[in-house]
Amino acid sequence: MLELQPKPQFSVVIPPKLLQEGYLVHFDSDWPSTHDAIREKTFRIDAVNQVPYDLSYILPTGAVGTIYRDVDFSNGSGGFQESIYPTKQNSLFEVLLGFKPGNFLSHWYIPAGKSVHALEYAQMYPDLTDTKRQYLGSRQPKDSPYDDPRIKFYLVKDLAPLIMRLYVLPGVNFEKIVMGLTINKCLMRLIEAPTEDQLLKAKVIRYYDYLRW
Amino acid sequence: MPSRVVTALITNVVIAAERENAVVLAKSMTIDNQGGTSNRIISIQDVFTPSTSYGGTVTPQDIERFKTTVLAGDIITLNEEDLKGVKCLGAMYVLSDVADAGADRCYVTVGYEHE
Repeated sequence: MLELQPKPQFSVVIPPKLLQEGYLVHFDSDWPSTHDAIREKTFRIDAVNQVPYDLSYILPTGAVGTIYRDVDFSNGSGGFQESIYPTKQNSLFEVLLGFKPGNFLSHWYIPAGKSVHALEYAQMYPDLTDTKRQYLGSRQPKDSPYDDPRIKFYLVKDLAPLIMRLYVLPGVNFEKIVMGLTINKCLMRLIEAPTEDQLLKAKVIRYYDYLRW
Repeated sequence: MPSRVVTALITNVVIAAERENAVVLAKSMTIDNQGGTSNRIISIQDVFTPSTSYGGTVTPQDIERFKTTVLAGDIITLNEEDLKGVKCLGAMYVLSDVADAGADRCYVTVGYEHE
């Protein structure tokens, strides 16, 4: 029949997943002096450009932890390097990453060999050679689906190599690991003397070491 | 959904080429062996080369993903439910255990999707 929808009393606004033009970002004091150009500085995003990029690898399964692939996001001509880091000081790359379904795990390291997701007790770090600890800190396809990516990271010039270690779970002969990247290229302009209000509004981008206190 | 009709041969016949960012799923298959004088075993083959990895090899692979027998003079149709889980990581091929020769003819129609 005829129905009049009542006027909603409030509406929910979902903020965009990616940085937009006009947004502010602030790099806090945790950044080392090797990143002086951005350390403790605030920038305005003057332009953005989203670049989609799919990567895939077909990997075999093997005895526990013996076969894996490292994906190195840093720049270079090495066999495992994907070269998606910025090369300009005024660029910030905000990257969203999602996986197509499959039987595999990913572990994250920055720099190489230093896990992002270790616990505090001795030996409680991700270990592919251990049947239990291979799941510790792992990110699986369901955690960040291809169509709704939830893994996000920020890249600046000369950042230490970020490594994603891919491992196919036992029980399948081979698996194809497909991941979709959206690289949000952001052009940054330095704000010489940010106001208190600008600092409050700015998105704080912290150095990766804060994850390992 | 694309499909392709091929003559069943004793060497791999391509159905769908490998796509870098997708797998190939078999959605339907019709095997027409009405003109055949021999029983046929038809299989779906997955052909690919693994990526470089620590501890793995990059030896080219040709893996059987599905297999069925069709009697001479028969025709069978398999739907999506029958082919559930048949996934090719690389290119999808069809293979027969008997070669076409003279009046012995067998045609295979495969519907597939890249996903």
